[in-house]
Amino acid sequence: MHEQHIASAFDRDLEAIQARIMKMGGMVESAIVDSAKSLELRDVELAEKVRKNDKAIDLLEEQLNEDAARVIALRAPTASDLRTVLSVIKISANLERCGDYAKNMAKRTSVLASLPLVDGASASIRRMAREVQLMLTDALDAYIQRDAELAHQVILRDEDVDQMYNALFRELLTHMMEDPRNITPSMHMHFIAKNIERMGDHVTSVAEQVIYLVTGSIPDDARPKDDRTPYMSEEG
Amino acid sequence: MDDQRIIERMTGMMDIKIAAKDVNVWYGDNHAIKDVTVDIADKTVTAFIGPSGCGKSTFLRCINRMNDTIDVARVEGDILLDGENIYDPKVDPVQLRAKIGMVFQKPNPFPKSIYDNVAYGPRIHGLARSKAELDEIVEKSLRRGAIWNEVKDRLDQPGTGLSGGQQQRLCIARAVATEPEVLLMDEPCSALDPIATAQVEELIDELRQNFSVVIVTHSMQQAARVSQKTAFFHLGDLVEYGDTAEIFTTPKDNRTESYITGRIG
Repeated sequence: MHEQHIASAFDRDLEAIQARIMKMGGMVESAIVDSAKSLELRDVELAEKVRKNDKAIDLLEEQLNEDAARVIALRAPTASDLRTVLSVIKISANLERCGDYAKNMAKRTSVLASLPLVDGASASIRRMAREVQLMLTDALDAYIQRDAELAHQVILRDEDVDQMYNALFRELLTHMMEDPRNITPSMHMHFIAKNIERMGDHVTSVAEQVIYLVTGSIPDDARPKDDRTPYMSEEG
Repeated sequence: MDDQRIIERMTGMMDIKIAAKDVNVWYGDNHAIKDVTVDIADKTVTAFIGPSGCGKSTFLRCINRMNDTIDVARVEGDILLDGENIYDPKVDPVQLRAKIGMVFQKPNPFPKSIYDNVAYGPRIHGLARSKAELDEIVEKSLRRGAIWNEVKDRLDQPGTGLSGGQQQRLCIARAVATEPEVLLMDEPCSALDPIATAQVEELIDELRQNFSVVIVTHSMQQAARVSQKTAFFHLGDLVEYGDTAEIFTTPKDNRTESYITGRIG
């Protein structure tokens, strides 16, 4: 639906909330990149910036929920307009969670800066974070373009993130078995990896909302899940 | 059919009450209804929506042969009520209209007492054998019209002295007094305030237990609130017909989407 509403104020309302969700998406993208970068470079200052910016992300979510409630109350949106508003509510919740995970990563960066390095792990984490950030960029593009196909591609890519997480999980287990002094930093690194893996799930959920927005139904084929760590043992 | 509103209510069997097949209507040269085929379910509220001049009222009026009263109107095609063609020459339109009641946009009580407004139909159709029986019908109808408590002490006063919302509910009581099987409502709330509208909508929901209700409305929110099935008309075509919840969340036709979302279609 790219036609204009007869009531042009309705168009302005919908455009405003979509602009706001894109702004929020952009801030979350930066948070993901910056938190991974701060970890790799042991940049405590950058980590602090990520923690501070999360407040602004939380605020945007609150504003978006208020905007959405107002549009529902005043405009009684139907069909694609209704789906736009509903998807905004859900996407903003997903983005807010991603922001929280980035903040949690940044907190651990501050601790890790004073601990011994875990070989190779922070580079793996940077690659994982980079992939999730690209998925988010594409999911937001798909949202603005109303591109269900691109959204579907994003959902499929979550499998890659899961596989990176599995590999890192094994790697960290090995480090911990080699030397108990690695346990503290490895545990932190593991939580960070898990945070990124969870972000991937939230980005997938954003992509699902795009498909709902465009087609009117949530894709029923469950997205590929490849987090095998629940079944892994030391020998795994 | 399941009501798709949040609190699901069973509406019983999905029996077809009215089956329209290839209905065309002309007013002189103006082709007002084009090949409309639709099945209207029993004990269900069906809403007809669409912009002005789309044919929704014209189609509604075909269902109880109100268009017979317009000289230039010509109706072709079949409309079956319980399998019987209402345009069959053997059908008496007056008897038909006792079975298919109608409520209009503007409340139009007879210039008679409240009692006589309701008693009129049962009297001419000989539905009551005694005064006591007629009293009973009048009370039952006024209760169904959700107006009994407001008028029970002044049944002898003129119906025209009531407020607009009360008059409309009186007209609904009058329409249900002959125990119709179908109730047609042509914008029954457009002259009413929000409270009277809510009362009429509540009433429509109750009437659904016994009747098949077809409502024409310009208020899309009203169609969404009261109906289980919605038909969208545009330029004489029946563009889309389906479950109300689907029409309002995921309409299939772009014209439906444009109309219900308030875009130029």
